[in-house]
Amino acid sequence: MDAQFAQTLWITLKLAVSTTVILIIIGLPFSGWLAYTRIKIKPLIEALVSMPMVLPPSVIGYYMLVIYSPHNWFGEWLGQIFNVRLAFSFEGVLIASVIFSLPFMIQPLQNGLRSLPDSLREASYTLGKSKVRTFFKVLLPNIKPSIITAVALTFAHSIGEFGVVLMVGGNMPGETRVASIAIYDEVQSLNFEAANRYALILFLISLILLTTIYSVNKKYDTWKIV
Amino acid sequence: MENSVIFIDIEKRMLTANGPMNLSIHTTIPAGELVALFGESGAGKTTLLRILAGLVTPDKGLIKFGSTIWFDSEKKINIPPQLRNISLMFQDYALFPNMTVEQNIQFAQPEKDQSKVNELLALFGLTEFRKRKPTGLSGGQKQRVALARALARKPQLLLLDEPLSALDAEMRIALQDEIAQAHQLLGVTTIMVSHDLNEVFRLATQVLCIENGSITRTGKPEEVFSDNSISGKVQITGQIARIEKQDTINVVTVISGNNQIIKVIAFESDLENLKIGDRVMVFSKAFNPIISKLR
Amino acid sequence: MNKLPGKISKVQQSGAILLVDVDVDGHGFSALLIESATHPEWLQVGNTIDLVFKETEVTLAKNLSGIISMRNRMKCTVQRIERGELLSKISLKFQEYLVTSAITTRAVDSLQLALGDEVEALVKANEVSLMKK
Repeated sequence: MDAQFAQTLWITLKLAVSTTVILIIIGLPFSGWLAYTRIKIKPLIEALVSMPMVLPPSVIGYYMLVIYSPHNWFGEWLGQIFNVRLAFSFEGVLIASVIFSLPFMIQPLQNGLRSLPDSLREASYTLGKSKVRTFFKVLLPNIKPSIITAVALTFAHSIGEFGVVLMVGGNMPGETRVASIAIYDEVQSLNFEAANRYALILFLISLILLTTIYSVNKKYDTWKIV
Repeated sequence: MENSVIFIDIEKRMLTANGPMNLSIHTTIPAGELVALFGESGAGKTTLLRILAGLVTPDKGLIKFGSTIWFDSEKKINIPPQLRNISLMFQDYALFPNMTVEQNIQFAQPEKDQSKVNELLALFGLTEFRKRKPTGLSGGQKQRVALARALARKPQLLLLDEPLSALDAEMRIALQDEIAQAHQLLGVTTIMVSHDLNEVFRLATQVLCIENGSITRTGKPEEVFSDNSISGKVQITGQIARIEKQDTINVVTVISGNNQIIKVIAFESDLENLKIGDRVMVFSKAFNPIISKLR
Repeated sequence: MNKLPGKISKVQQSGAILLVDVDVDGHGFSALLIESATHPEWLQVGNTIDLVFKETEVTLAKNLSGIISMRNRMKCTVQRIERGELLSKISLKFQEYLVTSAITTRAVDSLQLALGDEVEALVKANEVSLMKK
């Protein structure tokens, strides 16, 4: 019982940390590109990024399952070439979680970048600095609150995700069973004591993270939460 | 430092507060001069500066810096700002808030050279603020950092966008001197946007007057601003500060560009379309004024 | 300021000093100017320009006789007198133009100026400016 509890928490944590790390790596350059691009389909891209915020998780979950299915060319290709099966696996849940948490990483970063005066970027360019150097040396250091917000929101959101994980991963102990699902499962089996432990831990982690965001934002007060 | 003539022949459709406008500039800027772009706000001065910096792309035309093509719409050449070797001093200074005064200057250097940084800090009286972040500086100090940073890049062309607009009169004069000094010291071609006549007279060796997107006059400040259409040789430009009716006449007080107060007798017919605040020229025959040495 | 339209009839130059003769409806005026070696292109014989001089530079004379150095003389009639405490403004009709003179009220009294009086308005050549049309 306690071993299972620890295992579930470990998977929850592993999923949230991996999602956040992957999203930092993808999110920084992507939000930098999205904040300044003048490409025509920008609104479409922004809408796609934000879709997880408005769609029921089950919709995303359903599409992920369809894509992962071995009956589909992509799922088949994955299975044949890499011998990977994504449906009902940790990797599958991780990919779904990354996609589902994308707006929580991109939006604060993009807003943070856009709130900086254009002249900072332009000054760096005229001083001969490349776009990449400008991004890392001038822009990112000036949107620290946005970065903290993005990371904390992404982490908190990944920890609390329920619908997508359930759809894509099911409830396989040691593989895809995370705390939010465990709570549901324990309540179903009228095991309220265990549900309470999971719930309390999720509650505390989220509270601490959000308090951190708000106190950081208060300190900088340049970044307004949207 | 090598100076090059700048050849500009560009067109750019712009949207301004007063509707669409065509920026159409055809001129040559001589090497080593301190050129003022003078005109009302919205005339296209800042846009021209940004076009030269490579931050705004013209619709068509050609810009050459010496023999180097910076922009050629026909050959589809548009050299990015990074490769133009310029410095642009922004109206809001655009100091990097995450860096100290010293780091802002270091960042601009093409190669690290701490002795040069120290030299610039000393030149602009910034040595004691070197470890401060820009947020803790006054307007005048920020302006100095921005100027020092612009020079640290060792540009072949220095662009200043209304460098002194945010400062009070006293600070302006002090910093005008610093800009003039910096220009003399480095001899780098400098283009400065300004709508302040006083500033133009004090600093510029050449003036380009821009009205509604076109250059209307060019030359030395005294040529451009002294009205050649009147034979009077004593010409002073200034602003009407006061009009007092006395007896059958009016005494008009005019404050000249260099803050001299001039009183002129005017009759009703002279004042028909004049009011306080209007920019005017006061002229007299060369025969009237009497000259005497200042003690 | 007083403004009379005219046509340049003669330009004499000696160094930087220029003496320009101007014809205003058949009446001759001269203006003494200082110009740099290359004077503006509009300052050429045959060009129409405005003669400009200040009200305070206009001297008035009644029954003037003898020889006088002033080159610019206009026979006028007094149209209006605006008396001030020290300075008065006299509006004059010169041909079909209006010329204004500002002289001391004391002078108005000693000349015994009255409406309709025939007077002569005089301006020294070095007080006359030329203005491009």
